[in-house]
Amino acid sequence: MNIDYSQQAPVVAGRLTLAQIEELVAKPMDTKPNKKFFIALSISGSLLIIGAVFLAFSFYYGTGLWGNNQPVGWAFPIVNFVFWVGIGHAGTLISAILFLLRQKWRTGIARFAEAMTIFAVMCAGIFPVIHTGRPWLAGYLMPYPNQHGLWVNFTSPLVWDVFAVSTYFTVSFVFWYVGLIPDFATMRDRTSSKIKKTIYSVFSLGWRHSNRHWTHYEKAYMLLAGFATPLVLSVHTIVSFDFAVSILPGWHTTIFPPYFVAGAIFSGFAMVVTVLVFVRKIFDLEHIITIDHLEKMNKIILATGMMVGYAYAMEFFIAWYSGVPSEQFVFINRAFGPYAWAYWIMVSCNVIFPQLFWFKKIRRTVPFMMVIVILVNVGMWFERFVITITSTSRDFLPSSWGYYKPTIFDIGILLGSFGLFFTLVILFTKSLPVVSISEIKAVADGAQPTIHGGEHHA
Amino acid sequence: MLQIDFQYQKKDLPAGLSKKGLILFVVGTALSLLAFYVDQERAIFNYLVTYMMIVSIGLGSLFIVALEYIAGADWSTPFRRIPEFFAGLLPVLLILVIPLFIFNHDLFQWAHKEAVAEDKILQGKAPYLNLTFFIVRTFVFIGLWSLFYSVMTRNSRKQDESKDQSLTKKNIRLAAVFIPVFALSLTFTAIDFMMSLAPNWFSTIFGVYYFAGTVVAALAAITIAVILLKEKGYFSPWITDDHLFSLGALLFAFINFWAYIAFSQFLLIWYADLPEETFWFLTRWNGGWVLFSLLLIIVHFAVPYFALLTQPSKKNPKILKFIAIWLLFAHLIDLFWLIMPNMQSMKNGYVFSWIDLVFPIAGLGLVMLLFNMLAKKFNLIPIGDPKLKRGIDFHL
Amino acid sequence: MHNNKKLYCIAATFKTPDEIISAAKKVSDSGYTQFDVNTPYPVHGMDNAMKIKPSKLGFVTLVMGLSGAALALLFMYWTMSVDYRIVIGGKPFFALPAFIPVTFEVTVLLATVSTVIAMIALFFRLPDNKHPLHDTAYMKSVSADKFGVVIEAEDTKFNEKSVTDLFQSLHPLNVEMIYYPEEESYPIFQPKFIMFLIAVAVVVSGGTYFTLNKLLYITPFNWMMQQDKLTPQKGSEIFADGRGMRTPVEGTVARGFIPYPYKGQTNPVEVLSNPFLPTKENIELGKAKFFTYCSPCHGYFADGDSRLRGQFPNPPTLHSKRARDFSDGMIYHIITNGQNVMPSYASQISREERWAIVNYVRVLQRAKNASNVDLIEMKKETGSNVTN
Repeated sequence: MNIDYSQQAPVVAGRLTLAQIEELVAKPMDTKPNKKFFIALSISGSLLIIGAVFLAFSFYYGTGLWGNNQPVGWAFPIVNFVFWVGIGHAGTLISAILFLLRQKWRTGIARFAEAMTIFAVMCAGIFPVIHTGRPWLAGYLMPYPNQHGLWVNFTSPLVWDVFAVSTYFTVSFVFWYVGLIPDFATMRDRTSSKIKKTIYSVFSLGWRHSNRHWTHYEKAYMLLAGFATPLVLSVHTIVSFDFAVSILPGWHTTIFPPYFVAGAIFSGFAMVVTVLVFVRKIFDLEHIITIDHLEKMNKIILATGMMVGYAYAMEFFIAWYSGVPSEQFVFINRAFGPYAWAYWIMVSCNVIFPQLFWFKKIRRTVPFMMVIVILVNVGMWFERFVITITSTSRDFLPSSWGYYKPTIFDIGILLGSFGLFFTLVILFTKSLPVVSISEIKAVADGAQPTIHGGEHHA
Repeated sequence: MLQIDFQYQKKDLPAGLSKKGLILFVVGTALSLLAFYVDQERAIFNYLVTYMMIVSIGLGSLFIVALEYIAGADWSTPFRRIPEFFAGLLPVLLILVIPLFIFNHDLFQWAHKEAVAEDKILQGKAPYLNLTFFIVRTFVFIGLWSLFYSVMTRNSRKQDESKDQSLTKKNIRLAAVFIPVFALSLTFTAIDFMMSLAPNWFSTIFGVYYFAGTVVAALAAITIAVILLKEKGYFSPWITDDHLFSLGALLFAFINFWAYIAFSQFLLIWYADLPEETFWFLTRWNGGWVLFSLLLIIVHFAVPYFALLTQPSKKNPKILKFIAIWLLFAHLIDLFWLIMPNMQSMKNGYVFSWIDLVFPIAGLGLVMLLFNMLAKKFNLIPIGDPKLKRGIDFHL
Repeated sequence: MHNNKKLYCIAATFKTPDEIISAAKKVSDSGYTQFDVNTPYPVHGMDNAMKIKPSKLGFVTLVMGLSGAALALLFMYWTMSVDYRIVIGGKPFFALPAFIPVTFEVTVLLATVSTVIAMIALFFRLPDNKHPLHDTAYMKSVSADKFGVVIEAEDTKFNEKSVTDLFQSLHPLNVEMIYYPEEESYPIFQPKFIMFLIAVAVVVSGGTYFTLNKLLYITPFNWMMQQDKLTPQKGSEIFADGRGMRTPVEGTVARGFIPYPYKGQTNPVEVLSNPFLPTKENIELGKAKFFTYCSPCHGYFADGDSRLRGQFPNPPTLHSKRARDFSDGMIYHIITNGQNVMPSYASQISREERWAIVNYVRVLQRAKNASNVDLIEMKKETGSNVTN
């Protein structure tokens, strides 16, 4: 296959007209859900209920039902938290960073990825709140003048987390909503149902597609993207600080911040590909979410996978190079100790299998990429497991070593978080436009003037 | 068939450039030789600073060329020759590196047999930190860089005549292979030539830290060259404000990235406060070094951050040129801050000497001479590149 | 037909982006200022065609971002270095590097949220669902795939004829007159609305009551009031005897325990000697303890006038010759060991306190049986003001 490098690849395949694009995107909202939708919803709903039941047990009887115990006090809750926050990073990356890099192909997937960010951050937010067993006391995380006269410890990375995750959620949500306003207006003007019209009117805020508004709107979108970009880096950086500011070997290593961010993008893109492969098939969006877009995402997965591999290698090398015995032990223990199985799952899923994406054929074949991205998701979950568990289960004192095993409650709650995520995703596909209608119209063929109206370039 | 709707007339760079370059190089080299005569240790440390600066510009430029291919970017195509010329510094490193091997005893504590015999930790590192392996891997790295440089730029030049699109495809493949090679070789170069100066110190992020500085330096050098050539009319009207804006935005992004990496490294070491790590920062807090440490925050981050924050300033060639020159200095100070406090006589504070000023002069002269030589030989614009038309039509 | 309605604007729709750009240029070049272009997405180059100045939104972001940073830093400085100082990890109270993450997050939060709020509320004057353009055929078409331009009637140059002519000259798809919608009014005191308000009030207050008084006190929200720990006197299944509290192992000695060698003897041959001097503090302590433990039976002045009204046989006065001749150790022994009906006070009164009581008893004895020498000495010590 030969590519003509002198031409830009079209963002929307199949030369669709603006009306056709709108029709395609709006279809899921205009039609009644079919059987497949309910089957999918009932599966994810059941997972959600399983999680809820296990969570209720944990609240009623206490967190003693979980596997967390000395010496592994941080276990599934933090592993799941970091995993879900990581998943959330792809959305902002696609909507903000690729926007700033003017990668037009992002338009087809940005809305969906942003929604996934919001849902993933919701899933992540559950775990720090529940891990104490008393989520109703989480209000103490906020610095307010309470009757004890105490303030939160602003030098603690756990408090940084509170600020980072809540800021991230708020900003992602605002970003998402700002993008939705014109689409709500379009939906308002095309629907015939009175109830829908009222709802869309309220959320569209009375948007009129006025160009005097578009000017500010585009500026605001760029400003938001400009802020979301460092924000997305900061969030996983701060998550990595949870570990790295400690002095535990295997946690305290300076490469953690960029390494965690790369890992987050890696896992986030894998999750986006996993979900989009189904969505484009089910909703006939193959012209808008094209195989080219999937290929580009697979390339990013390959690149970030290698960054993660670089970090693994660097940690190992510097552990040896440092000459500090406890550092050296931790890494030998990871690779050959009792959790070697988890370590090698991590390495093979994150570093070895994604190398298959060097082949163009594999990058562009849906079943192949499906297998690889699911393996990447598994691998990235195990990465957090390996980091958290191996370092704590065998630290400085051999007398206090232990072997951590999760209980059925840990696993149930993890499944429940997947249930929550997919339930929200499935409901989203039916209730809101999964692709930004106004943005995709703007990049369709012939959507922009052939002359640069009024613009003069020296 | 490819249509280029502009006429490119090859023009030589002004003759003054090579003359100025020659003067700077000769004067700088003479002063440097004098420096070696006066204070050999200080001279070789300063030589290392300038050497790393040249590595930064050369290697960073090749990285930017590779990045353009791999990302499919078109806006940077019209001036891709600039980073290609700067990357021409890479084969020169084969010669430039030799003094560092000759004076290894002055630079590297781990090259002292008696020091290693006393230090258990250094004995543990001996399989990596020994002269033979050090020299071999350095030559392998420089060889690999030179190889990628010559193959990629030769393909690019061949395209000027043949307009063959398959050459672009070839270079994309090469670039994809180059990036991992680049990542590893750059990291180990940073470890070998800078981290190992304090052989007991270690930081896993160090390679990334040097990478961030490298890209800042290379982008700054490219920006300066592009704006100077545009001012002299070599690029007008093909390079517009929008191109400059993109360069400015990349610079802005990478100074932020540098600050992010630098802050991460500092925060984690400061917070954990382990004696085997903090001593490195404490040395840089001694005596006059504290000024360098604080200056680095201001010069390498705060000032360029606010200068490049707004959209108009990224489009303004004057501001952009000034900030690019500023950032080259900033990177030099960064390297100076990384390397010089490891000198035995400067551990307790910075003491000024004229020796610190002469080596960059020779380096600047060398860069100018080489740039002029390559610009004489080859087209300033890759006229055969299929993406050129898109790159010239580039609008925000 | 529309004579009673007020004209809002005249609108024209076009098919392609090129047409709308040139239309916008024409309109702005003709000197109209109160005009607008409505497109389903932002069309490149439209700002120049319409002569719109660049957005000033960035200033809101800059100001709010900087104030976010200042606010966060000041707040952390005040809480951590002024209001409640704690040394954490050996770091200074104002640990700047550790404050940077929160400062950054607050900066971003304040900058982005206020940018969006300012944009919607100040720059757009939204929400506005009653705008005359809504629910027109024009709006529906520009919302989908057409490009429209409107000239408002409020424009100083507005003239129905000339505007229509201008639009017609541009070959539009359609030209439309858009009027202000009729005012609709809703009376506030509609019974339905009142009922709705009442329902809301009932639900909110009932819900609040239930949450704060009932819901928050069912399991697991027990606020640590129920705990599985063992409370005193509670049984436990762990032990065979079913008792939760355990008796100490035989021979266990309590902390600070010092054995008393004359325990159980009525008339010990030898006794301990008083280790305390009768200082003022010691006598005050003895007085307090005497009042608490001794005075109910012995009386405040040790006269043996019990306040217990003969429920027990009254103890003898402590001012008898016999009692005055007791050694300090003997009185201590009687308190410790008990005598006749008097029980041991060893468990209630500590050793130091017992010796203090002894000192106080001595004070009482001397006061009740003062000699002339004592009086002279007292006058000497305290001066003439103590005569009564």
